[in-house]
Amino acid sequence: MISLRSKRNSEGSLAKKGERPSSHVRPGVLGLALSLPPLLLVGVFIGLPILIGLTFSLGFTAGPNRVISIIGQQIHKKSHWWGTLQAYSDVLHDSRFRGDLVLTIFVTVLSTTLVLLLALAIALYQRLIGGRKASVLVTLSIVPLFVPVVISAWAIHTFYGGDGFMRTFFSHFGINFPTLTSTPSAIVIGTVWTSLPFAILMISSGLQAIPDALIESAKDCGASSLRVIANILIPLAKTPIIIAGSFTSIGILGSFTIPLFLGPNQPTMLGVEISNFFGSYNRPQQSLVMAFIVFAIASGIAVMYVRSNVKSAKESGRL
Amino acid sequence: MLKKFKFGRIGINLFIGLLALFILGPIFWLAVHAFAVDWHYPDLYPSGVTLHWWSKVFLDSALSTAIRNSLIISPIVVILSMVICLPAAYAAGRMNYFGRKAFMIGVFSANSFPKIGLFAAIATLYYALNLMGTFLGVVIVQLLGTIIYMTWIPAAAFAAVPRNLEEAARDAGANKFTVFRTITLRMAMPGILVAIVMSFLASFDEAQGSYLVGAPAIYTMPTEMYSLVQNYPIQVAAVFSILLALPSVLLLGLARKHIMGGQLAEGFQLK
Repeated sequence: MISLRSKRNSEGSLAKKGERPSSHVRPGVLGLALSLPPLLLVGVFIGLPILIGLTFSLGFTAGPNRVISIIGQQIHKKSHWWGTLQAYSDVLHDSRFRGDLVLTIFVTVLSTTLVLLLALAIALYQRLIGGRKASVLVTLSIVPLFVPVVISAWAIHTFYGGDGFMRTFFSHFGINFPTLTSTPSAIVIGTVWTSLPFAILMISSGLQAIPDALIESAKDCGASSLRVIANILIPLAKTPIIIAGSFTSIGILGSFTIPLFLGPNQPTMLGVEISNFFGSYNRPQQSLVMAFIVFAIASGIAVMYVRSNVKSAKESGRL
Repeated sequence: MLKKFKFGRIGINLFIGLLALFILGPIFWLAVHAFAVDWHYPDLYPSGVTLHWWSKVFLDSALSTAIRNSLIISPIVVILSMVICLPAAYAAGRMNYFGRKAFMIGVFSANSFPKIGLFAAIATLYYALNLMGTFLGVVIVQLLGTIIYMTWIPAAAFAAVPRNLEEAARDAGANKFTVFRTITLRMAMPGILVAIVMSFLASFDEAQGSYLVGAPAIYTMPTEMYSLVQNYPIQVAAVFSILLALPSVLLLGLARKHIMGGQLAEGFQLK
């Protein structure tokens, strides 16, 4: 009622005065104009380099790619009007790349699953039981958000290293704890560590939004705790869970510092290999090909994210 | 608290203990090294306590330059990011213009290109624009990582401000600017604050792009850390880590309530 009246009033005053600063500019135009600066920044410094990089990976070695083509090794020049797929074939036939790809996908899937399970367990505990212990759990899992990734990688490196805490501590009980640093396990530990806060924040806020009454009434009808979780809580928090999953997996897929500090030299994750190929091996074309392959996988995950958002917006009547 | 939900007390205590070991263990282990004279496996304690490594860091000109660079660059990045992104965030949150959704998704997909690949690709452009090894070059590379926070989170915060409150203020005679300043901006402030904190952390922590673009002319704290862990004893890296984590911990105190209150989560739901 109030809002209706005030709307009429404001329209009335608009008609009377006949001028408001923005009434000359259509909101569509203004909105577009306001969003231009970040768009320009993204376009020039992300879009353009990616586009130039794409042409380079396809063998266009002239123009902006001239210098890099002279410096780099094993450069393939285009053989058709549209370029060549030689660099892509190089990479796909490289056994080293295949090992990296397998490790990257393995770490991404395993770490994302672990992060989601851990975040879900903590968020569910917070939603259903609550109390001081729940806030201790949530606070603990937010801590990594505030530790720079270079530090966390190095801290985990020393903690699980040959003379690290785990080995030191267990050696006093006569247990020979394995050195995890420089193994795929350490990458998983590191990525779970750094990805946990975002997943917790997403999922816990999704679960908090579910009304108590819904849970209570299901319990009153005789539903077990497990049934409440499986049939009410998880389905209703599906969108935040998918958002958490997609952001986590995209982040892990392209991660660099964690596998660099914690992983084995060979095979390594693609983020590190992209950097190796660009720098140490001086094979920029192949390096970019790998970046595009990672991007292709990430885009698949991104599509899932966007579709889930659109679907949830439709269901709640926002679209 | 909801009734009828039970959970073993021992189970939950054990879980808290393990999570604390998992999360805090590595940080504490590294932090105590900053005060250790020396530490040999498998001793449980270091051979002595010292502040020697702290003076080493502060007296080393390369390390203190890196600290200064970081403390200058990150605030500039955050302010630039606010100037560039906040108007766009307001538009995305409040106006239904053509291309709004494309804008949000565009920012997101730019963010899902592997950063390391982007930095490899950006070199060509940087050489062409003479940005390699420059202050501005490092600022821009760090700016790129803040865009998603500075657009998405404030957009959700602006969208959540109730319109009828603004209209009521207008009816009461407040002019447009006053309404924006005292109602819209004030109510969106927690979201903007979270965006500022996240952007600052993104910039302050950014290592790979800054290294590729800045080194060897400009080192920031995280890029210095790469060489530090290879060339210095672990104690020096530990001191440096504590210094590097300080701003983040301070910001945690500032924004913890809002971040855990759902401002961050709200910002990542595409609407």
